[in-house]
Amino acid sequence: MIKRSFFALSKPRLTYDLLDTSLQSAEELAVPGSLTLLLPEEIDSAKKALIGPGDAVKKGQKLKLYDDSRSYVLSPVAGTIKGLDSYSDDFGNPATYVMIKSDPSVKGDDQWAQLDLDETLEFAADYLEQLPGALPVSTLTNPNYDIRTIVVTGADTDILCDTCQFVCTSYAGLMVAGAKILKRMTRADRFCITVPENLSAQVDLDGFNVLRTSNTYPSNLPAMVMKDHFGKTLSPGQAPEDKGVCFIRPEVLVSLARTYETGRPVFDKVITLIDKGGQKHRVKAAIGTPISKIFTCFNVQINERDRIIIGGPMRGFATYTVHHPVVPDMDTIIVQDADVVPEISDNACINCGNCVRICPANVPVNLLVRYLEANLYDEAADRFDLESCIECGLCSYVCRAKIPVYQYIRLGKQELLTLRENA
Amino acid sequence: MTNTKLIVSHAPFWHNGDSLIKQNLNYIIALLPAALFGVFQFGAPALGVLALATSSAMLWEMIMSIISKQKIAIGDMDSAVIGLLFGMMVPATMPWWVVITGTFITVVMGKYAFGGTGGNSFHPTLVGIAILTMSWPAFMDFDTAYVSYQFDFTALAPLAALKSQGTPALALFPNCDLLMGNEMGGIGSTFGLGIIIGGIYLMLKGYTRWEVVVSFIAGIVITSSIFYVLHPDTYAPPLFHLLTGYTLLGAFFLAVENSSSPVNRIPMLIYGFTGGLMIILVRNIGIYPDGTVLSILLINLINPLIDTIKPKALGKGVSNA
Repeated sequence: MIKRSFFALSKPRLTYDLLDTSLQSAEELAVPGSLTLLLPEEIDSAKKALIGPGDAVKKGQKLKLYDDSRSYVLSPVAGTIKGLDSYSDDFGNPATYVMIKSDPSVKGDDQWAQLDLDETLEFAADYLEQLPGALPVSTLTNPNYDIRTIVVTGADTDILCDTCQFVCTSYAGLMVAGAKILKRMTRADRFCITVPENLSAQVDLDGFNVLRTSNTYPSNLPAMVMKDHFGKTLSPGQAPEDKGVCFIRPEVLVSLARTYETGRPVFDKVITLIDKGGQKHRVKAAIGTPISKIFTCFNVQINERDRIIIGGPMRGFATYTVHHPVVPDMDTIIVQDADVVPEISDNACINCGNCVRICPANVPVNLLVRYLEANLYDEAADRFDLESCIECGLCSYVCRAKIPVYQYIRLGKQELLTLRENA
Repeated sequence: MTNTKLIVSHAPFWHNGDSLIKQNLNYIIALLPAALFGVFQFGAPALGVLALATSSAMLWEMIMSIISKQKIAIGDMDSAVIGLLFGMMVPATMPWWVVITGTFITVVMGKYAFGGTGGNSFHPTLVGIAILTMSWPAFMDFDTAYVSYQFDFTALAPLAALKSQGTPALALFPNCDLLMGNEMGGIGSTFGLGIIIGGIYLMLKGYTRWEVVVSFIAGIVITSSIFYVLHPDTYAPPLFHLLTGYTLLGAFFLAVENSSSPVNRIPMLIYGFTGGLMIILVRNIGIYPDGTVLSILLINLINPLIDTIKPKALGKGVSNA
């Protein structure tokens, strides 16, 4: 953990990590005997489910809960469904765990053998949403957006992470091929890629506009890239999509290229594991693999009161179970020892102003947090720029009173959306 | 590993390690040179007043947090700092009951009436000192307080002497003496050098905002220079104003108190400058010898108003065409 320096006249700087070149390749993790797939839809007991315990599934088979469901997952293995379970994420959004027991003897018609792999968004929406790297099909197919620019986040958005840089440097050829496929699918005529300005590795990225990003957090976040490189400042509440820009992970392009090359979907996701000592491990695991398998593979001991962070230290989320599966948008897993988990408090804001001075979006955080604590979300948005927040988490990082400021802000945004939907 | 209970919380998962207790301990460290010099200068009674002020302030905090059913935050040392500051601003001969009444006003009326740490719109210590100055001016008068003391320097409070005798009194107070603490005043407010060193330490540590300190001093120097240049016979030079009374304590420790001062840069500069300007106006035109307490309370009052001068948030005021 980066501590406050002894002299703190200037504001602290958090810098992005550059690619760890000592890890040349990712270790392949064998597909485990039982997998858990995360299906982003709630179990509705009133409806008749299409899948249930005991059903045989084939490799690559599309699984969805109900006839009218939009969400689906592709089974990475052949086997049988062991059971369904409900899951809810850190914002209470419901989802379903589909547990599959792998059984290589299950045979049958391969759905994918008969499929014609069209290079269209409709096909991608139907079959490719769950490719490793998570293709944002809902953004690309949304008729309200006119996506003309696609930005590949070659520079990881959170500190400490280097998975995206690793994918860019190791699979540059596949990325170029994947970008061509995506270009034919969408109306995007401009492909950009963010690359850390200090990255020494030379990568041949034909057809990409390279955007060199600074190593100071949060310059790789979409809102900052929009501002610094495209000169388009997002209005409060606006997303890059509203300006015709879509951000994707480099791994999506790699998965697309491999899928269209072989005619079969791919399931192995590159993940960086950062253990308690800060040591990085690179692993390729099938989607659905419980993360406990990854810990076992690298002998990472998980004790009581440790914290498992999925994503980076500034913007990730903490999981409550070691059985959480590998999902398409999981880049980094960080294990934090119980001893170094910083405490948060219910202190009142002391108005020291650290948050105000570090905020890259000039949000008056000291006033904002008072309104959020009092559940005054409308006022917070109207008068104190709640929606200008770019969600970098720096305010919580520097808070002297240890107030969970960023948590209040995200909760506030969520509640504001609910208020507006109900209005 | 199957049923290991994990800690679940929201991002970010790192913290820079700063905390209230660290802030307040640094304040105490920064105040110590001046406070210790006061003990050395004024003897055991000074130590008694400092100890009583600090401990009684903490006790009032304890009692108030129990009565108001709030979290007992005495461990944050916030009251210790405001109690210590109170002790440093009063004479060493102050009777014990005045000290305890003073810290009562400081903690209960200055801090808890506004909702505790972070809620106070005025510096709690200044509320206490201001009310004592109004209620018991005799106990706050440095000339009478040290009557029984023998000093090897002019035993007169410089600002009061200036007020009553005019500029001829300035010859009694060489700047070097004022800087080294050879003057009459509050226990911890005389040793200019110690206050400056402590104040710079706090600024470098990032616990006080340099903008406020610098603009506060600039306000004093510029305003008093104008007076001095126009009427050198009537008014004291800037350095005298800077080194006497509560000026340095005010600039480095009182005006910068977190919850009663602004956080944006331009407001900080206005806030500090106004404070310095008001001190000189009170001293040169007003009736009080030292205007530090009142002028800082005044800028505390205008703080919420000027702190609305803030930079535009990202994306605000941008046309969407």
